[in-house]
Amino acid sequence: MFRAIVDNIKGLWSLIVGLSITGRFFFSPVKTVHYPRQVVDPESLASYRGPLELVPADDVGGSKCVSCQMCVRACPGNCLTVIKGKEGKAPETYLYDFTLCCLCAACVESCPTSAIRFSHNVYLTARTREELHMDLLADLKARAAKASQ
Amino acid sequence: MNNLNFINPFSVREDPGSSVGDLYTQNFSRHAKTGTVILNLGPQHPSTHGVLRVIVELEGEYVIRAEPVLGYLHRMHEKMAEVKTPWQFIPNMGRVDYLHPVAWNWAQVGACERLAGLEVPERAEYLRVISCELNRIASHLMWWGAFVMDLGGVTPILYAFEEREKINDILQIITGSRLTISYFRFGGVSADIDERFVRLTREFIPYLRERLKMYKALVTDNVILRRRLEDIGPMGVDICQRYGATGPVLRAAGLPRDVRRDIPYGVYPKLDFAIPAGPSDDCFGRYLVRLFEVETSLNIVEQALNELPDGPVKMDKAPKANWKLPAGETYFAVEGARGQIGVHLVSDGGKTPYRLKLRAPSFCNLSLFAEAAKGVLLADAIAILGSLDLVIPEVDR
Repeated sequence: MFRAIVDNIKGLWSLIVGLSITGRFFFSPVKTVHYPRQVVDPESLASYRGPLELVPADDVGGSKCVSCQMCVRACPGNCLTVIKGKEGKAPETYLYDFTLCCLCAACVESCPTSAIRFSHNVYLTARTREELHMDLLADLKARAAKASQ
Repeated sequence: MNNLNFINPFSVREDPGSSVGDLYTQNFSRHAKTGTVILNLGPQHPSTHGVLRVIVELEGEYVIRAEPVLGYLHRMHEKMAEVKTPWQFIPNMGRVDYLHPVAWNWAQVGACERLAGLEVPERAEYLRVISCELNRIASHLMWWGAFVMDLGGVTPILYAFEEREKINDILQIITGSRLTISYFRFGGVSADIDERFVRLTREFIPYLRERLKMYKALVTDNVILRRRLEDIGPMGVDICQRYGATGPVLRAAGLPRDVRRDIPYGVYPKLDFAIPAGPSDDCFGRYLVRLFEVETSLNIVEQALNELPDGPVKMDKAPKANWKLPAGETYFAVEGARGQIGVHLVSDGGKTPYRLKLRAPSFCNLSLFAEAAKGVLLADAIAILGSLDLVIPEVDR
């Protein structure tokens, strides 16, 4: 009987302890990042794997790709299409289907010339499926044009 | 009327095996007693952790019979292993168990390395231990929050997520991803740690130790939680061994079995850590074992960081994506957050493995449920289900 009373008092005390902890957290500052008013600091995105992008070889949008098809063969999801150009080794087409990509880095690690890498774009959004079918050569040119401005 | 999940006890009994409900429900209700209610929990239910469906036969509030229905998340991972090269299959492992992907990475990569006889540099072995244990902590924290939420306390999962996000931030530095991690490579790991990783991890270890004290005051000592868990769903060594349960479920029953100690792999033999067993085989015992494992994993991470040797993180001439396995057969087991993860690999020397069998701990732990839930209150059955720490993609594979 005495023990039951002590147990109940201890139990009630544990509830008060719990409430004091949640009460303290209730008045502590917000922990989450309120996008778009705030963004995550770029340092913590340095190794984030976003959609693939080509590494620029020069300032005018040339790529280091030699169309060897290693990335195409390595990819588990078949999301890359590389077609060799008529002159030289540079690719004519480099298509990337982000809807199929699992960001596993098989292509990045198998590339002999380190021509592709992950972007750190966490804010990518698309309204349609087609927007995620990316043309990486066009993207590379657009980035070079933007940088030269 | 066909899609009713809730079967009227007065209408179905004259016609056992009637057309009410789907095939599973019909089959289940064929053996039902008179005056009982058959209820479907799931496949979409807030307390079933993913798309698991459990059919229960209720008499009043008591569960007479329970039957888990699996397969809603079956994604043919084993078949996919047969049509992809071993390298291409690595990202699949993060999808099998989204809470502890690094352990599954290790199981598959380890099996291939054992078959091919690859040597892993020592620094890579330490990095594997660090990432695996950090991920184990994240998995246990997620379980802790979800389990308490099953029992009706919504607040703790938000605190657990705060820590989990910190671990995700740390793991993102080396793996690049936050959930479906594929960090391991044949003969090493994909990236080396940097100064920021070490700094964040060293900050995180004492921080989590402090938070665990708060967890104890907030949840473990809470009288409501204790009355919900103590002496509920006892699972002794006998039932665990009959169903092949491993991990915290078996250790809570009092048997200190742990693959890290019993079938050593990696650099675990060089590290000093405790394997908790007991104190009780009920839901509260399983709860305590998992919280203790978080502390154990913190100790392992701390030790591994202190003893981290210099050197490469990947062997010379590491296999590429078109690498072929030599012919042969092997088995490799690792300790995941839920128990023993096993990979049985058979190769005929071709481009893709001949067969890859994944042994998922959640599957065996779930099979306990039908027996353990007999005769308990429905609310206690939910507590038992939560205490097993199920990850449904792992059950179905």
